[in-house]
Amino acid sequence: MADVAIETIEDVVCGFCGLGCDDLRVEVEGRALRAAGTICPEAARLIRRLDVADRPASVAGTAVDLDTAAEAARHILLGARATLIGGLGTDMAGAGALTDLAIRFGGVLDHHASDGLFRNYASVQRTGWLATTLAEVRNRCDLLLVIGEDPAGQWGRLFERLFPEAPLFAEGRRRVVFIGGAPGETARRQLGHADISHLATDDPVAVLEALGALSAGRTPPGEAFGGVPATELAALAEAMGAAHYVVATWNAAAHDDGDLVAERATALVDRLNVTTRAGVFPLGGRDNIIGVNQLLLWRLGYPLRTAVRGQASAHDGALYATEAALGDADVLLWVSAFRPEPPPSFAGKIIALAHPETIFDKEPDVLIPVGTPGIDHAGTVFRMDSIVSLPLGALRVATLPSVAEAVRCIAEG
Amino acid sequence: MRLRLTGGRVLDPANGENGVATGSVRDIEIEDGRIVAPTDQRADAEYDLGGDVVLAGGIDLHSHIAGGKMNLARLLMQEDRRAFPEMPGNFCGCGGGRAVPTAHATGCRYAELGYTTVFEPAMVGANARGAHLEMADIPNLDTGAYLVLGNDDFFQRLLAAGAHQETINAYVGWMIEATQAFAIKIVNPGGINAFKFNARKLDLDEANPHYGVSPRRVLTTLIRAVTELGLPHPIHLHGCNLGVPGNDETTLATIAAAEGRRLHLTHLQFHSYGTEGDKRFSSSAARIAEMVNGNPNISVDVGQVMFGQTVTASADYMSQYRNRAIASPNKSIGMDIELDAACGVVPFEYKDKSFVNALQWAIGLELFLLVEDPWRIFLTTDHPNGGPFTTYPHLIRLLMDRDFRNAQLATLNKAAQAHTLLSQITREYSLEEIAILTRAAPARILGLTDKGHLGVGAVADIAVHTEDSDREAMFSTTRFVFKNGRLIVKDGLVVELAQGTTHVARPEFDRAIDKDMQRWFDESVGLKSKHFRVADGELRGGAGPTILKCEGVAS
Ligand code: SF4
Repeated sequence: MADVAIETIEDVVCGFCGLGCDDLRVEVEGRALRAAGTICPEAARLIRRLDVADRPASVAGTAVDLDTAAEAARHILLGARATLIGGLGTDMAGAGALTDLAIRFGGVLDHHASDGLFRNYASVQRTGWLATTLAEVRNRCDLLLVIGEDPAGQWGRLFERLFPEAPLFAEGRRRVVFIGGAPGETARRQLGHADISHLATDDPVAVLEALGALSAGRTPPGEAFGGVPATELAALAEAMGAAHYVVATWNAAAHDDGDLVAERATALVDRLNVTTRAGVFPLGGRDNIIGVNQLLLWRLGYPLRTAVRGQASAHDGALYATEAALGDADVLLWVSAFRPEPPPSFAGKIIALAHPETIFDKEPDVLIPVGTPGIDHAGTVFRMDSIVSLPLGALRVATLPSVAEAVRCIAEG
Repeated sequence: MRLRLTGGRVLDPANGENGVATGSVRDIEIEDGRIVAPTDQRADAEYDLGGDVVLAGGIDLHSHIAGGKMNLARLLMQEDRRAFPEMPGNFCGCGGGRAVPTAHATGCRYAELGYTTVFEPAMVGANARGAHLEMADIPNLDTGAYLVLGNDDFFQRLLAAGAHQETINAYVGWMIEATQAFAIKIVNPGGINAFKFNARKLDLDEANPHYGVSPRRVLTTLIRAVTELGLPHPIHLHGCNLGVPGNDETTLATIAAAEGRRLHLTHLQFHSYGTEGDKRFSSSAARIAEMVNGNPNISVDVGQVMFGQTVTASADYMSQYRNRAIASPNKSIGMDIELDAACGVVPFEYKDKSFVNALQWAIGLELFLLVEDPWRIFLTTDHPNGGPFTTYPHLIRLLMDRDFRNAQLATLNKAAQAHTLLSQITREYSLEEIAILTRAAPARILGLTDKGHLGVGAVADIAVHTEDSDREAMFSTTRFVFKNGRLIVKDGLVVELAQGTTHVARPEFDRAIDKDMQRWFDESVGLKSKHFRVADGELRGGAGPTILKCEGVAS
């Protein structure tokens, strides 16, 4: 085999965690890919591809061509009593095709990372919230509250992106207060030019509640809240009142009481906006969950966890969550194009439109390996803030179908 | 493909034809999606219109149909979606909602009313790609979007630094192209930006707390930019102090600030409030209409308030933050966006027994009836902010039927009745005037030469209504609607889904600005400018936009 030159592609857009970095460098050698330069571990891992033959489509473990697999999948969908279309790790084109499929065959739509989203939505739908986006945080935020565990593990470049060294407006040294877990080494390094403090607590909800009261000019009774001395919280409340632009960020998926974190953070930000400016910046966005959710909102009028049946849709955040919906389903159509995320254990029939490296506990009834958006084919994904979306490019020639192509094959026969 | 529509009474004000007045009928012939001169050739299909009224497809120049704020509204107001489920016979099963309908329901409900082109008036640049994806999923309508500009930090910085007009023009041209926009919208000029620096209001001549730039400068600079770039549509302005009693003075001063240059004032109703009377809230419609009448450079749309539950969605976070206090139900979303703009989503119920809401209703109608030139006023409810677009037939009857109007007025809040001169206005709109407001005039102000009329060469977007003296009944349904010469509505029901196009404007500009934009996006926004840009192929599922090339008036 002839030597293949290594080509370096600049400004690659990353669609994995929802932060939407678009300055990656990727080395391409034939069909092999490797991220170059400094990069977060998640992107490094998910971009890495070897020059190996694709796993073929299969029916009950036997290799078949795409059309045969699609035919078998259609047959299963036609005979299904209740289908869950789960995972939903796909770009916008894939999400559109899957929505068409749900309208045609019926099914419940949910994304594998939707727990955090719905914890936040509990707050949004009750009271709404006052939010902000990445570029505003980068340039305006002079006091950042990071609530819960350090999120830098999941969003490897979060603090680098949120707090660049030369913001347009934030003056003096910017402050970051970790309320909950301690900042790790990555966070500390990326925030090297900011003042970091840590209020250790395993009850951030109590801390937020006290901060809300203090910001409203009340003195909540007690010496300490969530283990944090009242005096420290009073000082923080005062600093927030004096700040120009306070931002509260959290990962609702990481807490069982993420809905309460969202609610208290929302209330605190509401309160701060009476006299100064503030916004919530909820974390999330993995595997284009925000984009899929956006599409469902404009196509069906409902977010994820929606059932489409008999040409009408209905939404229920509890009933149509993956785990609950699987209880009623006899077919699972599992979609995960960004990462080798295996389907949850399920006794019924499984059709998998999956990343080729997925390891299954149980051989799916139908497997169609699909290409990854941003690696094998171009596509669009949304960033976690739900406003900005990004064009993913193809880094190599696709040999696998995209989710949209595979779904169309299934639907049209 | 050749179609013939026979025996219709053609109402085509753009070409001076009024078959309704003359009673004469004629045929219209369509070939491959365009209206052609009549021939003797055999048609593939013929439709006998039996004297029904034939209009060009309706054009709504201001209706919020796509973009992030509409999805936030859908998220916030799930009760709207649940209360208005899929319509029976809705064959693709993905429509619902009234104040914030789905993309599908938007396309179908508009088509049933005879509309075929609708412009989204507040696309935020940072959200352009998403807005275009959403518009591609709206069936039956051609669309386009106005880019919200003037509150973005790049622009404010240019003004603060005293940049040359040529640089501004290049920036505006770059942004229009990058976001695939059709026109420039200014929302609360500089106010949204000022709110990010914690200002709670910004008058026309007040300085931005950070940049020192006044709304007047934002306005006049951008008016010059769109003029010199040759954009067909003038600046589409949502002025300062929306909804604030006493904003009438701001509105009058804004008209004066245009100094004779073209300017479109949108949802003027929300900007026509005085402070007279014991409630310190009064109608200034007469004063403002008089000024509009005297300034032929000004065009307006009304933003009529219609009673009932709706949800208001606007880039004007400064005003919407104020309006949160009166949200109904009591919840709202606000968002600062990307050094670019913002949004505020506030549910609201307009009540006929409320003094303020009833007077808002009357102020809108006063404006409609007192602005004399039907070519400079457009029929809007600022959907969904004043009410959903599905209330248009009712609004048309209010304009065309004085007895009906006065009967409605008599049921409203008593104090409001005493504060409006509506009952004394005798004007009734004619069918021809309605056709101007909803077809001919919007096409003209948007520079769409092949739309809004039924002459040879026009796009075959056609609505056929059966005449009915109850004008609400007449305009609530259509006998036929053709989109690009394809039958999409028959007897009031959607029978086929057509894929529309998206109109964009393409001005010439000095591309040297590209370097500055790259730096700005890289360093400040944290996104590459090339990834901000939306490519042609990203529109309409790969079909790309319909491009209107602009002839700049200055180099
Ligand atoms: S932080 Fe997220 S978006 Fe950025 S490179 Fe890592 S995985 Fe990709």
